[in-house]
Amino acid sequence: MRRGAHGVRRTVARRGRLLALLAILGPGMITANAGNDAGGIATFASVGAEFGYSLLWILIPIAISLGVVQEMCARMGAVTGKGLADLIRERFGVRWTALIMLSLLIANAGVTVSEFVGIAAAAELFGVSRFVAVPLAAILVWWLVAKGSYKKVEKAFLLMSLVFLGYIISAFLSRPAWSAVGIGLVKPTLRLEHAFIFTLVAVIGTTISPYMQVYVQSSVVEKGVTSDNYNATKTDVWVGTIFAILIVFFIIISTAATLHKAGVQIVTAADAARALRPLAGRYAESLFGLGLFGASMLAAGVLPLATAYSISEALGFEKGVSRTFREAPIFLGTFTFLVAVGAAIAVIPNLPLFRVLLVTQVINGLLLPFVLFAILKLVNNRELMGTQVNGPVYNLAAWLTAIIVTALSVLYILMTIFPGSVRL
Amino acid sequence: MLYLSQVLGRPIRDLEGERVATVKDVIVRLGADDHPPVTGLVARYRRRDFFLPRWRITQLNKHGVRLNSDILDLRPFVRRESEVLLARDVLDKQLIDVDGKRVVRVNDVQIIEAAGEYRVTGADVSLQGLWRRLAPPGFVGTKKPVEVLDWADVGYLATDAATVQLKSSSDKLARLHPVEIARLAEALSYHHGSEVVESLDDETAAETLEEMPAESQARILGDMDQERAADILEWMSPDEAADVLGDLPEEKAEELLGLMEHEEQADVAELLPYEDDTAGGLMTTEFVTLPRQLTVGEALARLREMAETPNMIYYLYVVEEEHSWKLCGVIALRSLILADPSMPLEDVMRTDIQSAEPQEPAREVAQRIAEYNLLALPVVDESGDILGIITVDDAMEILLPKDWRQRLPRLLG
Repeated sequence: MRRGAHGVRRTVARRGRLLALLAILGPGMITANAGNDAGGIATFASVGAEFGYSLLWILIPIAISLGVVQEMCARMGAVTGKGLADLIRERFGVRWTALIMLSLLIANAGVTVSEFVGIAAAAELFGVSRFVAVPLAAILVWWLVAKGSYKKVEKAFLLMSLVFLGYIISAFLSRPAWSAVGIGLVKPTLRLEHAFIFTLVAVIGTTISPYMQVYVQSSVVEKGVTSDNYNATKTDVWVGTIFAILIVFFIIISTAATLHKAGVQIVTAADAARALRPLAGRYAESLFGLGLFGASMLAAGVLPLATAYSISEALGFEKGVSRTFREAPIFLGTFTFLVAVGAAIAVIPNLPLFRVLLVTQVINGLLLPFVLFAILKLVNNRELMGTQVNGPVYNLAAWLTAIIVTALSVLYILMTIFPGSVRL
Repeated sequence: MLYLSQVLGRPIRDLEGERVATVKDVIVRLGADDHPPVTGLVARYRRRDFFLPRWRITQLNKHGVRLNSDILDLRPFVRRESEVLLARDVLDKQLIDVDGKRVVRVNDVQIIEAAGEYRVTGADVSLQGLWRRLAPPGFVGTKKPVEVLDWADVGYLATDAATVQLKSSSDKLARLHPVEIARLAEALSYHHGSEVVESLDDETAAETLEEMPAESQARILGDMDQERAADILEWMSPDEAADVLGDLPEEKAEELLGLMEHEEQADVAELLPYEDDTAGGLMTTEFVTLPRQLTVGEALARLREMAETPNMIYYLYVVEEEHSWKLCGVIALRSLILADPSMPLEDVMRTDIQSAEPQEPAREVAQRIAEYNLLALPVVDESGDILGIITVDDAMEILLPKDWRQRLPRLLG
């Protein structure tokens, strides 16, 4: 007694799609802008304060490198449907996987430390001792993630971190010398000094961080992007990259126009907050503190979680926040370890907080080559990527990025171990 | 007992004990066997790979391989039908463990010699398996028992080698509930997820697809062979099938619809014109109607005789007469069973019917179902004809957040 067939063939109703809307807040956009966290703000603010407009030019090659690297990973995710850690394990075997995962773990541990340092710095701006704020934040983050309720509070943190958009307005209000900005943007200056190379590696490390590549690829996979509908994601990656770099551009301008002009070196978060004074006046510190807190809390949860996912994925262990310690020891162990280490280092007495933020970004930069070379090898594998392997121009840009980053890292290490050995 | 990692890279010696090559890979034939036999080795000699058939091998262990002759046949290796290379296709890859209902990664492969045959007996998925390959040889000191997954429980091997799908795998997968198959398939890459669905029989594939997100359903069916996709669509409930077709490009949807059997095609085609977010888009056309003139006993007899009972028979819809769709009442199955068999349906049925119009927003209708605690709500057109029903599980899909839905089993069907 099924409903009888009326047998009328009607046209297929098309259902509306939200693709265009989703592209605005796609994985590429989110990931590229995740680079502007505590470590990122610290790094860019010191670039402006220390070197004025003279380092603006590196934003152009960095934008290209970031876009190229992110796009390669997004494309791998779309074509293969697998995460970066998965591909590394399946293509390179256990030993390489162990090496790459170890560098990822160290780099991400560094960034996690920087997030808790960011929380400490934000707390001190509000007059709260970091010995209170950091352990509380660590417990809160751990608990929220383990209970699976992190997604609910994520938006609040994200909203707080939007404060940093204030740098754009501040940059205009601080009346920068636009001609100097223009010159800084097109005239490359290079100095073979330890401080200069340190800053350069930190800027690269914070903009093109290893975790971002892993993250963008798994978000593309999770979103169900395939090689057929990849084009929207490609646009999303590039738009996200340009947007992220634009924010960096304005942070450097506003700190250059205020702090560099006044000859202030950034030692504490309060110094960095001063660049927001043209916008916020005496509320600059509170505003900066709020943004720093939001951005740091956001990443302090996401980063250990993403790292735990990658490592369990690569090693093939149970994963997921709903598991118990007995079911998923590696997953929950990694996550807990990162949160604990991050918080523990951030409460070391007399820690120069702002300096630590920069150092963690340098560690990122030093470990980036391992991940970059793995990505390049994978994305050029025809068996894996078919016709979607890199084109010659892409390969040139990507290889140049990998080689320059490696060269800078080696140079930096040499200069640190043998001061004065490298001279022009 | 032997592990693949203990064999790879080991020397191959001839009858005289002369080292002639090294082991590059182990070849296994997948077939009906629960524990597939080793059929040969890929040997590497002077940067070239060649094939060593099983009968030439007299010994295979931790120390390497012994051959039964001095003559080495340098035949290049060519993969044959249903053969897999353990190092290339299995090691480090993911597989579905049917017993544990999970996706795991192969850290090592266990080989056992029995009755003159070397057979793959299990996949090592433990940390020790990983450590065995990471640590220098001879360094493995841990005595902890390893966690080895019986090869007989391997439901699917997520490898890129096209010809090697396990023949018996779909039977093993079919032992799982479609909800679980869907979850496992979603945990794999989308290529492998499609392969899993394709390996199932039509009915299981349809049930599995219904448990997957709409985008995955459309992608998998869209990429599939068209005849096969149409066969699977026929097994899906008409409302789900209509949803999938609506998510596919228009041309593709028309083609698939055209390939479906006439009856199922008509059921689906009827639902297609309704917008996704209306009562019409939400409804299914599978329900039971009974003419009001029947007695309770006749109605029960008719229900028993029905060859194909719809999933939803808790509500029976009473119409004016045979072959009419004009809705005049509804009877819950419970009241029908409890009622006196000689009573006419019209005395038992309820006439204060909650119903929806096809153009009503889906959300409002879903809320009404929740409010009145209904299991289903009929959709009626302006002339009073019943077009279809909206079941409570479809209503829940609208009301509950997405991640909740995946945790809830389907209530009906």
